Amino acid sequence: MPQSLGRNTITGMRLVLLAAAIVWASPAAAAGQSPVAWWVWPLALFAVTFALGVVAVLAGVGGGVLFVPIVGAFFPFHLDFVRGAGLLLALSGALAAAPALLANGLASLRLAMPAALVGSVTSIVGALIGLALPADILYTALGATILAIALVMWRSRRSDHPEVPANDPLGAALRLHGVYHDQATGRDVEWKVWRTPAALAAFAGVGVLAGMFGLGAGWANVPVFNLLMGAPLKLSVGSSGLLLSVVDSSAAWIYLHRGAVLPMLVAPSVIGIMLGARIGVRLLRIAPAAAVRGTVLALLAFAGGRALLKGLGVWA
Amino acid sequence: MGNVPEEQKLYARWLGRGARAGLWLLSACFVVYVFELFEPHVPLHALPSVWSQPVADYRALTGAPAGWGWLALLGKGDYLNLLGIAVLGLVTAVCYARIVPALLERGERLQAAMAIAQVLVLLAAASGLLVVGH
Repeated sequence: MPQSLGRNTITGMRLVLLAAAIVWASPAAAAGQSPVAWWVWPLALFAVTFALGVVAVLAGVGGGVLFVPIVGAFFPFHLDFVRGAGLLLALSGALAAAPALLANGLASLRLAMPAALVGSVTSIVGALIGLALPADILYTALGATILAIALVMWRSRRSDHPEVPANDPLGAALRLHGVYHDQATGRDVEWKVWRTPAALAAFAGVGVLAGMFGLGAGWANVPVFNLLMGAPLKLSVGSSGLLLSVVDSSAAWIYLHRGAVLPMLVAPSVIGIMLGARIGVRLLRIAPAAAVRGTVLALLAFAGGRALLKGLGVWA
Repeated sequence: MGNVPEEQKLYARWLGRGARAGLWLLSACFVVYVFELFEPHVPLHALPSVWSQPVADYRALTGAPAGWGWLALLGKGDYLNLLGIAVLGLVTAVCYARIVPALLERGERLQAAMAIAQVLVLLAAASGLLVVGH
């Protein structure tokens, strides 16, 4: 029974995305003239982001990384507005989750602060670059980035408690160490990190991508915290959400001041993905995680390929 | 939870309040917008003909403002929504500013300096002065 519910959920999500693709593929939509009333689009956006919210939780990814390529590929909105909405969607999700993570010690403000400072500066640079580039170059770069993200997500491995011999000098100066309570084992876990300069360089690059494409960056933040710096996995996941809330705040202002934030895209998307995430949390125990993750990777690969071909003028 | 530093608990409390306020404000203003309780700057039926344009063209076609110009249009249903979005964008800066005294009290000067630098970066982004292109 639970397994069939999980399968039905995935089938439902696929149907929603298929419906969006059919609407998008209509000749009038392709010509930029919507054949449907204006209110159909926010409703469709709500349905799709609701589905994305469910899948994102089940697949263990942020909604932002799914939103931009999928909505950019299947909806008639210009990529400028989709990226602005993508940033706010990722920001809202991160802001909603971060307080509980911080209060429970599952995110570390101390660990996130240096990364957030570097990432927020570079996300502003990324946003300024992204808003100055023509759409075809943006689509090409977005497509290549999304395909790379799908590859990283497919190949990446994680380590619950990486071995770190000692803090590196910068990590020691920034006091990047502490203790967190693992509720699963009931034990206090001491943590410290190393390779801080290399990690900060990585966070700088991730910030540029986040600002340029309006993507959430959990897909990159978690491996950098966990595999490069050696932070425990749970702390890495929680701190990644906190980091994202700071980095995306900076970039979101650039889009807002440019006029690239359309409430008609932002509000239904934020509400849809947050409600979807709540359902996703409830389905977490019964849904077939591997199948969901496979579907997400396939969606990312398809949407990334579509963006790449659109940018290259092969599939306009 | 006993291991959570005081400044982190403080940050969490303020972030929770700010995020809730921003999300509720965004949702409430969207209801006002979509039911046209306040007339929007860009009519709802006209949106599909302009939202496929690049943002520079959209602004030229609709007379939409850049920078903080939207504050002058808060009486319009669409721009009213930017209030909630602005709260979401500012809450992090407020939280960082709030923990600076706590960090200084504990003698954490480097962390306090980073928090101040972070506030400055966020305020620079929010200022509307960082603009290139188009």
